[in-house]
Amino acid sequence: MANRPLLRLLVIPAALCALGFLAALAAVMQYSLRAYVPGSLEAGGFTLANFAALMKPLYARVFFDTVWISFLTAAFTLVLGYPLAYALVHAGNIALKSAILVITVSPLFLGEVVRTYSWIIVLGNSGFVNSMLLKAGLIEQPLQLMFTQFGVVTALVHVTLPLMVIMLAAALAHIDRDYERAAASLGAGPVRAFLTVTLPLSTPGIIAGVTTAFAWTFSAFATPQLIGGGRVNMISNLVYQLGFASFNFPFAASLSVAGLLLAFLMLALLRVAARPLERLGPH
Amino acid sequence: MKRFCMALGALGLLLVPMQATAQDKLVVSVWGGSWRDMVANIIGKKFTAETGATVEYITGGTIDRLNKEKLAKGNPESDITFTTSHVGWLYANDGLYEQLDLSKVPNARNLVEQAKISPYHIGTWAYVYTIGYRPDLMKGVAFDSWADLWRPEVKGKLAAPDFDPSHLIVVSAILSGGDAAHWEKGQAKLKELKPSFKAFYTNDANSQQLIANGETPVQVILSMNAHYMAGEGVPIKLVIPKEGAVLGIDTIAIMKGSKKQDLAYKFINVALDPQVQAEVANFKKGSPVVSNAKLDPAVAKLPGVFTTPEQWSKQAIIIDHKLRAEKTAEWRKWFAENIMN
Repeated sequence: MANRPLLRLLVIPAALCALGFLAALAAVMQYSLRAYVPGSLEAGGFTLANFAALMKPLYARVFFDTVWISFLTAAFTLVLGYPLAYALVHAGNIALKSAILVITVSPLFLGEVVRTYSWIIVLGNSGFVNSMLLKAGLIEQPLQLMFTQFGVVTALVHVTLPLMVIMLAAALAHIDRDYERAAASLGAGPVRAFLTVTLPLSTPGIIAGVTTAFAWTFSAFATPQLIGGGRVNMISNLVYQLGFASFNFPFAASLSVAGLLLAFLMLALLRVAARPLERLGPH
Repeated sequence: MKRFCMALGALGLLLVPMQATAQDKLVVSVWGGSWRDMVANIIGKKFTAETGATVEYITGGTIDRLNKEKLAKGNPESDITFTTSHVGWLYANDGLYEQLDLSKVPNARNLVEQAKISPYHIGTWAYVYTIGYRPDLMKGVAFDSWADLWRPEVKGKLAAPDFDPSHLIVVSAILSGGDAAHWEKGQAKLKELKPSFKAFYTNDANSQQLIANGETPVQVILSMNAHYMAGEGVPIKLVIPKEGAVLGIDTIAIMKGSKKQDLAYKFINVALDPQVQAEVANFKKGSPVVSNAKLDPAVAKLPGVFTTPEQWSKQAIIIDHKLRAEKTAEWRKWFAENIMN
């Protein structure tokens, strides 16, 4: 690097950004250790009371719900995203390929709030799903889809699906199709060839997709806020409810720090859990 | 010719201060969307017509703007700030507001007592949070008192704001023989209401959507939102319970360190002009804060629009604004821990 001054120059903006992020993180850490002064914007002296207050069962439940919702979202996104990515990579027809790509990626071009409001229309008591089920005579009373974990996960899967498909498609596109052909020539049927050859070789994409979907969902705010309606809460909603809506910035900061630590812990666990799968991937 | 040149010179001298004024710019911090448009179209335009000074608007949420001004303390980003009465106290407590000299605001002579919030900020318009419901979806249920929210018919049908539980906290305290200062008296009563909640809305749009689609046919709702939805054809009824509706006042103040104080006072004076007040009230279906505003009779008779001293004193539950600023965090935390989760 010493011999590449241009590279060093290009690193400077990244280093400055990192410095900015570190400063912000340090400010949040510092705030989390300060006392809240009612009626004032100024924080008080140093204290551990904010972290002690997090020991209540309510917060443990919201932390658990955050992990569970993130896990469910990542899992369902994988189940829905894999066939889409496979079709995207293997479709022979260019028009079909383009259609899959556009349908899959288009949610990224909508804002999270717009996307979420549209889900309220779909999941509401008089929304699309309930109207169709009522008209079909399959139900007599509207199903409660809004303000439930099911509703929140459904909308979150819509948010993370494009990322998952793009990552899986990239992994699948790198698999040499001769491997599948070799498996077929040795007598393996299409299902067996997929399960024993394609699926293991696509594990790097699966790991990357699941990790990204999990991390992306972990910090979700607008979707659980609007679809959850205060009945399904994730950590970011709690930060908003208890911190920003009531100006208790020190407590909001302690929640954020705890949430960040939990996110690191979960990502580390994911990494450990993914290790055996990595061995299945290409060498 | 000489006379013509003298006249031209005199005109030039007259124009000099006018040009200087026209180059002036007042920066106003306000919420975005329809709030900004209303301030710009009703107050800002008249202010510019009267002074020649232009207005630049900084928009954002209540907390975003508060944080920004806190960071810019001493060298404010705006000259004028609009915010709610209790959040205004947070600005004032942190030394972000100038103390107002109301002798520089002639229209403040007609300011109603309830809008004199502090020596630093005064009201510009008012509204109430009260019970709004869909009679078509709540057949046979009438809401004459806040206590009616506890009726079994409301179970699983109620929504309230998730950003401010102060209305229900104070109402529960009142129904239990307490008040805002002794809100703990209402805790047990409010816990009894827990099964009635179906959801908590996060903003005005969310509230409007949930009542329009019938998801939550009963709401503790902002009167302006209810009137807006009624205007859009949603069959919604707004009631003023016998105990009164919870008053909210949006306020105006001059930022400490503003270098445009004279213009800022003129802006406040325009905001309190009776004609401007009437236009604001007619547009937002809220209450004017000056006693001499002449409202459209159709607006004046709407529930939650106060135009007489009797309405202000008998139909409004006023939570002390400073106490509300101090208690908000405690109320919010208790509400989240005991009612929402």
